[in-house]
Amino acid sequence: MAIVKNLLDNKGRQVWSVTPQTPLRETLKLMAEKNIGAVLVLDEGKIVGIFSERDYARYAASRESLLLDEPVGNFMTRSVYYVSPQHTVEECMALMTAKHIRHLPVLEGDQLVGVISIGDVVKQLLEEKEITIQSLENYIRGRTHTI
Amino acid sequence: MTSVRQLLEGKACQVWYVTPSSSVQEALKLMAEKRIGAVVVVEGGKIVGIFSERDFARQAISGRITMHTPVREIMVSPVYYVTPDQTVEDCMALMTQHRFRHLPVLEGEQLIGIISIGDVVKRLLVEKDAEIKSLEDYIWVNMI
Repeated sequence: MAIVKNLLDNKGRQVWSVTPQTPLRETLKLMAEKNIGAVLVLDEGKIVGIFSERDYARYAASRESLLLDEPVGNFMTRSVYYVSPQHTVEECMALMTAKHIRHLPVLEGDQLVGVISIGDVVKQLLEEKEITIQSLENYIRGRTHTI
Repeated sequence: MTSVRQLLEGKACQVWYVTPSSSVQEALKLMAEKRIGAVVVVEGGKIVGIFSERDFARQAISGRITMHTPVREIMVSPVYYVTPDQTVEDCMALMTQHRFRHLPVLEGEQLIGIISIGDVVKRLLVEKDAEIKSLEDYIWVNMI
């Protein structure tokens, strides 16, 4: 069963972040440049929030403005769900589904070691599905190789 | 193997849409109200594009749009879609390959629903356990 550590091994441990004072314009530019859907908000190295495309779309709708000069701290989500490298992919799926979120920072103790997305999860499952079912089916038909 | 049709069964039938002349603001308000991440753009009964949270976030910094810009200038087309007989795996592959999170479902010419990456994951939570368990039952029976 795949764990978060496996996902990070595949995608890397790079974390992009902004501060609460960073204007939305810069925040969105970073997200576009790195092709990501959410960015962590750090204040003196501590996670104080997360900001996603969804947060932006919802706030822009309610404020009827693009809000580009406003600081991201005004729009970030402050309750940040996270996982550890030992959590299973299924636990991530359950958390994402229950909380209706698409990104999970990964913390090892106090240390931020990566971010996983719903896209990373689906990509992993796509690969896993083929391998697991194929290997079980090979076994049923007696095609397993002995070492 | 779960079909797209089965995936749709768990959802409400209503497909929300806007027209090409709807404003960005109107589209975003509809998406907020209905708690969705993308909306199809329909003209003369046909899908002419799709508009998502990501498209908005990416275009907002281009300097070329305002909240009053018509959706036709910001929507994405052509629109990838799936049919009811395709599988959840087909959806996963399309979404991963093209990096999108929504797929309209067309039955012939008729738009019968939209599948999101969230719908896929929700379904897989259930399916994953069931499939591996049933194959293992089969092996166990054979070994006896």
